[in-house]
Amino acid sequence: MSASYTETQLDALRELANIASGTAATSLSQMLGHQVDMNVPMATAVPLAGAVELIGDPADVVTAIILTVTGDITAVVVLLVHPTGVKTLSTLLGVESGTEVGDSALGEIGNIIGASYLNAISTMTGLALAPSTPTLISDLLGAIVESTLAATVAEEENVLIVDSQLQLPGESCEITFMLLPQQNGASNLLAPLGLAIGEV
Amino acid sequence: MGEMVVSTTPGAELVAIGLGSCIGLVLTDLRLGIAGLAHIVLPDSMGKPGPVAKFANLAVPALIEKLLAAGAERRHLQAVLIGGAQMFITGSTMEIGVRNTLAVRDALGGAGIPIFSEDVGGSSGRTARVVIGRDVSSQAVGGPRLSLLSPGQPARPSRGAVGGRLTSARDLAGDYTATALTCAAALLLCGSIRL
Repeated sequence: MSASYTETQLDALRELANIASGTAATSLSQMLGHQVDMNVPMATAVPLAGAVELIGDPADVVTAIILTVTGDITAVVVLLVHPTGVKTLSTLLGVESGTEVGDSALGEIGNIIGASYLNAISTMTGLALAPSTPTLISDLLGAIVESTLAATVAEEENVLIVDSQLQLPGESCEITFMLLPQQNGASNLLAPLGLAIGEV
Repeated sequence: MGEMVVSTTPGAELVAIGLGSCIGLVLTDLRLGIAGLAHIVLPDSMGKPGPVAKFANLAVPALIEKLLAAGAERRHLQAVLIGGAQMFITGSTMEIGVRNTLAVRDALGGAGIPIFSEDVGGSSGRTARVVIGRDVSSQAVGGPRLSLLSPGQPARPSRGAVGGRLTSARDLAGDYTATALTCAAALLLCGSIRL
């Protein structure tokens, strides 16, 4: 049993992600007092074997801010920031990176981005979504992403990854933003749009 | 993730970068210079489809078969386990690393393959590296490269209970892996209590 996604469904997820990351970018911009740009989001269903490389270099050391989502769907939201990005964000927030205050401020960024992203999805789909408090870790990108996948979607043959990138123009700071809906999560996201997932 | 590779080329490298809760399982016949690495994601397939290397219960027999097909001798196979960390404090993620470790040990025990050494548990990601005919090592971010198996170290098969295997692995692998083995023993203890 495995979920398969049509191009129309993936398009719909991309569009959801597009609007939601736009909202998240606006919130982040207000918080930082700095312009925030975003790219066109990606929504892909891929075999587990290539999933990590799709997100980034597994050997990179990154900081991850992780929120679990419960409510009408189960999902995990992961924000990945490289060390230079963490420094930039910390400077803009007026905190020192690597300290308790710095970590707390980064967690707050996760909260703001995650909450505005999920609120936008809630508004569009009518689903009730509740994010957890953020968990912050720094480690190999590969270890973070694979453990997140293992805990959420790895039982599926293909994993659905919805991924956006937020950038601060003029600064070297890129935030990779990942939504990993579990199988029922993806169906429930699509159902209100009239695009429920069939089983193959 | 969920992949498996075997090599007989001396000096060739098999690498699993960034193992978190997953297990990098190395099986090797040191005498013949044959080794394989599987990137195991979950403990049990429970009948689900998917690449065999993804699930501990399927990956262990599949990797053994692949090594035998490459010419390895079953009685000389030895295992090294790397990974099985608990990366996050929240949710069910914490369980997976431990469950993966226990499932791989179980499957190896069932197949009669001794565990030479382990670097498992903890909360850090690791990179597993196998250099065919030379060395199996594990490295966490900012940490030293731990040599977990090399031809210089005397091989001594032990096929007892899981606890017995760990004790003999400690004798064999020396100081470097003592910390890792303590973690492993702690994990084992948790596992035993739960079981």
